[in-house]
Amino acid sequence: MEKHQMNTGDKNMVHLTIDGKEIETPEGSTVLRAAQQEGIHIPTLCDHPHLTPYGGCRLCLVEVKGARTLQPSCTIPATEGMDVITDNESIKKARKFVLSMIFSERNHFCPFCQVSGGDCELQNSAYEQDMTHWMIQPNWNNYLVDSSHPYFTHEANRCILCRRCIRTCEELVGNFTLGVEERGALTMVIADQGIPLGESSCISCGMCVQNCPTGAMMDNRSAYHGLKSETDTIKTICTGCSLGCGLEILVHDNQIVAINGDYEAAINEGIICKLGRWQQLEKLETSINLTTPLLRKNGQLVETTWEEALEFAAEAIKTTKDDLAAIASTELTTESLYSFKHLFSNHLNSNIVTSTETDTYSAASNVLLKNGILNFEGNIKSVDTADCVIIIGEDLINQHEVIGFMIKRNLPKGTTFVNIDSNTETYGSLANCTMQIAEGSEKDAVRGIVASLTKLGLINNSCEGVKDIDTLVQKAAKGTGVASETFLDAAYAIAKAENPVILYGPVITRDDSADALTAINCLAGLINGKMISVKGKANSLSAIQLDLDQPLTNPTSIKTAVFVLADDSDSDGLLNNLMSADTKIIFSSVENALTKAADVVFPVCNWAQEEGHFINMSGSIQWRNKLMEHTKNIKTTNEALLALAKVLGFTMDSDWESALLARPSSVELTK
Amino acid sequence: MAKPKISSDWLGGCSGCHMSFLDLDERLLDVFALTDIRATPITDLKHPDEDGVDVGLLEGCINNSAHIEVAKMMRERCKILVAFGDCAVFGGVPAMRNFFDLDEVMRCGYINTISTDSEGMVPTDPELAVPQRVQSLNEVVKVDVFLPGCPPSADAIYYTLTELAQGRIPLITGDYLNWH
Repeated sequence: MEKHQMNTGDKNMVHLTIDGKEIETPEGSTVLRAAQQEGIHIPTLCDHPHLTPYGGCRLCLVEVKGARTLQPSCTIPATEGMDVITDNESIKKARKFVLSMIFSERNHFCPFCQVSGGDCELQNSAYEQDMTHWMIQPNWNNYLVDSSHPYFTHEANRCILCRRCIRTCEELVGNFTLGVEERGALTMVIADQGIPLGESSCISCGMCVQNCPTGAMMDNRSAYHGLKSETDTIKTICTGCSLGCGLEILVHDNQIVAINGDYEAAINEGIICKLGRWQQLEKLETSINLTTPLLRKNGQLVETTWEEALEFAAEAIKTTKDDLAAIASTELTTESLYSFKHLFSNHLNSNIVTSTETDTYSAASNVLLKNGILNFEGNIKSVDTADCVIIIGEDLINQHEVIGFMIKRNLPKGTTFVNIDSNTETYGSLANCTMQIAEGSEKDAVRGIVASLTKLGLINNSCEGVKDIDTLVQKAAKGTGVASETFLDAAYAIAKAENPVILYGPVITRDDSADALTAINCLAGLINGKMISVKGKANSLSAIQLDLDQPLTNPTSIKTAVFVLADDSDSDGLLNNLMSADTKIIFSSVENALTKAADVVFPVCNWAQEEGHFINMSGSIQWRNKLMEHTKNIKTTNEALLALAKVLGFTMDSDWESALLARPSSVELTK
Repeated sequence: MAKPKISSDWLGGCSGCHMSFLDLDERLLDVFALTDIRATPITDLKHPDEDGVDVGLLEGCINNSAHIEVAKMMRERCKILVAFGDCAVFGGVPAMRNFFDLDEVMRCGYINTISTDSEGMVPTDPELAVPQRVQSLNEVVKVDVFLPGCPPSADAIYYTLTELAQGRIPLITGDYLNWH
């Protein structure tokens, strides 16, 4: 798959004329791309700027001087001296005929379709050709409607067989679920070997729905809720995990209509996963929002005012400040995390001030940072251009899925995938080299690879400087339980690569000794590879930079516990030890088990209502936009924290940027 | 020159296109000034003049033998026949029933509805029109002007009628062209 973007860098240029305009375009680009580059419009249906040209619909037919027939501009390469006409009577006639054939192939009835009225590329194309009616009747066969999938429906009556969904599934997501069966008029888009979508290998990313030009792939939730032309589009980022994908969210009347991936976002270039497109929204809509502060009186949580709730919380905090634990979610904005740290650490000097990901994602990195090894992590974007990906102890099939897509879609292009894990089942047979290692033996595995590279003469020296390489390989094989031949296989695979990337998970970063991370750093140096820690939740890195990665030690003597969670519900039960505190103060957007057990509940905004900064796993400082207004009696988390500080009599600032930069970072922070 | 005569009728439709025609509001007066409105479902005359009219508008799809009769009569008596709205142009919403067996459709409408008691039956009176699969108007008779839309907007109707009244064939394009 070649990305069809205009790269004028090192390519030879060709010159052609389109509609009398002289155009210079890189060799290898198509007539369509050359025309688009100059703002010349050619109608298309099966073409998508992020997919390989297919030449299926024939709507983009153009006249090429000297050619016997009209040519599809999306697949014909631009050549030197070419003379192209994009619109005349014979082209118009051909396009109308093409559309007539498409309309007659299935059953397209606009009045009851959810994309009619602006969002349907087929309807728009017909309007563009001034089609008032069909010259040929519809097919009238009743085609399959597959509604077995929880998030979207496949309405085959509206399918034009452009295969954009199929190309999306393989080229952008690397999942290869969609395909076609049969041929000619019997051709049908199917999942796997023709089974219902809901039972198929579909991973519900919904990219096919986003890229479908007609109403054939229908988003169950957003269908009929509003067209793009009738809604506002807000660009923002996903805060479902630490990747921070760009999103385009359709909003109307203070409600979210639909969520799409933002093709202009550098991090994800349009692709998003089921969490970003559907599940976060589903959670938002099925949760019970808190609308007013709550205070426990005579054992019962009752509604109260902000003033009373703040007074009560301030009193509890003041009287027990020597036995106070304050825990913040790593899904909060950087602004909120900074206010939290400022209040509880700088002003109150509380015993425990940390985040819900305590001690998890930074222990090993800290060891390297203390040794003066700074910014040792690379950018996640390098995964997409890597010719070898080594994953150690991280599940990118179920977590941080979009990184998994970037890896999977590159495998058919020859990217080597080495998987080192104590549980390698997740990736099935995707990896070229699988090393099922004994739990906790990651450092042995990495050292073994380094030794194997040395043994095979693929690198000049190892970091350890031990003479007897064979012993080292044997030792690694023994420690990991993996055959020494497998180490040699992996070493071969890795040594061939020019741009290798090593991705690793919490099993590496939470290791206090940092042995495994040191070994990875050594390997990365030897093979000239990038190393990337995938981290955890949306703002893990901010929390780390603000020193909110302290261990949760000795929580038993705590009298007052403050949980600033917003959308987080502590599903891991990390806060259980603190639930015995005398006073529990919670900042939450929704009702949950924690708020029910609390003494004071401050209702705060959810992710759709609060804007602010987030730092992704690669150090990109990004802005999350507000999508909707909050109800009257709740505050943003940051406002609530500032209100509490005011009642406590502290002055607060908002200089989170200097605070972030004060601590050395494992990855360069960039805006 | 005498004012062009205009007639209309509705077949398998919801009368929504005629309601959209009434949405011309005060512009109806312009239409009356330019044209001679003859038989329509919303005026007293029920059949177009036997010696013919200039323009005929037909709303709705063809879904039984009576519709075919009316369509053919309109075709005979109208110089210019306009397929008025999505049902006449494409088959429209009624065409959804083509995806089911006709007997099943009749059972669904006359027997299986919640409000039908045990006496429910599909009407069999020989005087009734015979139902058939839904067709667009141009499958049955020649159509001169297609005005799609569900319904066509009052603006599109006004444009179409005023163009026809002045002896021009309207080009339905831009904002006037809507299939929904």
